Amino acid sequence: MKVFKEVYEYREMVFSLVRKELRGRYKGSVLGFLWTFINPLLQLLVYTMVFSVIMRQGIEQYYLFLFVALVPWMFMSASMVGGASCVIAQKDMVKKIYFPREVLPLSYVISSFVNMLLTFIVVFAVLIVTGFGINPLAVLFLPLIMMVEFLVCVGIAFLASALTVYFRDLEHILSIVAMAWQFLTPIMYPQSMVQESLEKHALLWKVWNLNPMTPVINAYREILYFKRIPDFNNIGSAIVLGLIVCVIGVIVFRHLQKGFAEEF
Amino acid sequence: MNAENAIEVNDLKKSFKVYMDKGSQLKERVLFKKRNRYENREVLKGISFEVKKGEAIGLIGHNGCGKSTTLKLLSKIIYPDSGTIEMKGRVSSLIELGAGFHPDMSGRENIYTNASIFGLSKKEIDARVEDIIEFSELEEFIDNPVRTYSSGMYMRLAFAVAINVDADILLVDEILAVGDAGFQTKCFNKMKEIKADGTTIVIVSHAMGQIEQICDRSIWIHEGEIKAEGKPREVDPQYLEYIASERKNVTKKHLDKGNSKKEQEEEKEKKEECDSDTKDKTRWGNNKARITALRMLDEKGCENNTFITGEECVLEIKYNAKKEVENAIVGIGIYTLDDMRVYGTNTRIDNLPTFFLNESGTIQFRIEELPLLSGNYYLDVAIEQDLNTPVDYWRKAVSFNVFSKKEEAGVSQIKHTWLIK
Repeated sequence: MKVFKEVYEYREMVFSLVRKELRGRYKGSVLGFLWTFINPLLQLLVYTMVFSVIMRQGIEQYYLFLFVALVPWMFMSASMVGGASCVIAQKDMVKKIYFPREVLPLSYVISSFVNMLLTFIVVFAVLIVTGFGINPLAVLFLPLIMMVEFLVCVGIAFLASALTVYFRDLEHILSIVAMAWQFLTPIMYPQSMVQESLEKHALLWKVWNLNPMTPVINAYREILYFKRIPDFNNIGSAIVLGLIVCVIGVIVFRHLQKGFAEEF
Repeated sequence: MNAENAIEVNDLKKSFKVYMDKGSQLKERVLFKKRNRYENREVLKGISFEVKKGEAIGLIGHNGCGKSTTLKLLSKIIYPDSGTIEMKGRVSSLIELGAGFHPDMSGRENIYTNASIFGLSKKEIDARVEDIIEFSELEEFIDNPVRTYSSGMYMRLAFAVAINVDADILLVDEILAVGDAGFQTKCFNKMKEIKADGTTIVIVSHAMGQIEQICDRSIWIHEGEIKAEGKPREVDPQYLEYIASERKNVTKKHLDKGNSKKEQEEEKEKKEECDSDTKDKTRWGNNKARITALRMLDEKGCENNTFITGEECVLEIKYNAKKEVENAIVGIGIYTLDDMRVYGTNTRIDNLPTFFLNESGTIQFRIEELPLLSGNYYLDVAIEQDLNTPVDYWRKAVSFNVFSKKEEAGVSQIKHTWLIK
């Protein structure tokens, strides 16, 4: 509990780090902040080309099916892979002055979150412009599921950044982990596909559902692609798993941060 | 925790692992197990102290004694192996100034970034920003990017932010060396003001004078343990005396090692032709005679470069005259490191008759009670002829250190008495 109070006291530091991160991301490029929008648009264009022309899929409007799941996944993957080095990157500060170290991964996750929110402007624009449409009632659930994903990302970023201080190889290992994790999460394929093949393996099916990102991604897809109110069981397991990951992350980080200054 | 106390430290122990060659990658850890060998260095061997609310204490001790580690533990940058630290109130540490400064952002923006690192909210910073700017004396430049600042301006801004945090406990590490003399005085006065407002202060410093003026108590940490504790007036001189005696040992060892080398160099110098000297800016003259050796001697006649104020001190000058020098005058000048002349005299000023140099000889310059205060000094030594013809003028010929046991300020001791009616 003390941690939350302390981090709250340092909120101005969090904001200033988020601002620096967002401002620094596209610094020096001609189009600057516009890249936040251009980048996902171009990605979408590539997916559309690939999946509606070259690799035709059995799923209707596959590029949208993929896109609404991929954008939240990229937030997660950035929090994990990028977040891993966020404490090391500030080692001079960590070595010399006191502030709650949680501020570092937290502000990194917040800046990635803001980035995702901006990308969602593009998502909505595409959904409306293409005539695919949105269900306003379902979209009401979007902020909730975004908060849940935020919790997962905080937990993962805390774990990744703290462990990387002691074990630098993790920075490289994590990008492979992120790739494997992406394939284990129903992003490029529907949940139903896995359910069918795991029908006879009840245990495996349970293990597969322990992935905290699975209910999150499913909820995003239900809201935006299927345009319906997400299944409450699904939301429930997303919240529970999200909280567990977050709490583990916070506890591990709190414990490991004591030795940060001596590791550099 | 006692209600009167702001800080309670109990049996604090800390050791560091000093790795021979640490591998932090998996490959290195597995393949080179030997590299993971380390030495456990015990920096703090169990220290305990209490600081009352509004009290100011000074941590003193030589380099590596553990005083900075103590301060880092207090500021929670590192954590102890065992023992407890309890602190009441907001803690601000002036250990690292200007943390998070961004060169491309303006002074004003950097105030916000930097203050946020001390845990201030935007509202709190808004309330202080004018004070900070005023204190830093950078009103005209505050909206320019920090990269255009001189290093003095940079430090002034950083100090102004740190000092205006309004902490209950202030931890200070050797930072009063900020900016020019005027600004230093200002910082110092601000510290006093903060103390008068009831802030608890812990200072690590080598400047005994400052400690004595601000602190109520000194704690002398030696080899990870508290060696003495009490009023600065009583503890500081003990420490200084210890340091001075250590210093003497070190310099003696150094001199013993250096002696044979010195002799060789001197011989080499003798062989060198006269014109090579004239190019050397620190030494010039017509070279009819040369100073061949300079030694500082203490009261026992041993060679020494470290003296305590009030001690006897002798400068021994050996010379070798190639040609006869008539009407010779010998002079010396004592300078501080920043080239301020403390004293200068010669045999003519002191009404000695001019003398005649032939072959080699020795001249001694004796100071019965060295009136200089703590610091490094150097000597110019010269042999001149007639009135103004340098025979061998040697700038910065010898340097020496002085330690003062008392906390007088300045360069020189002035004999005085007080009369209080």
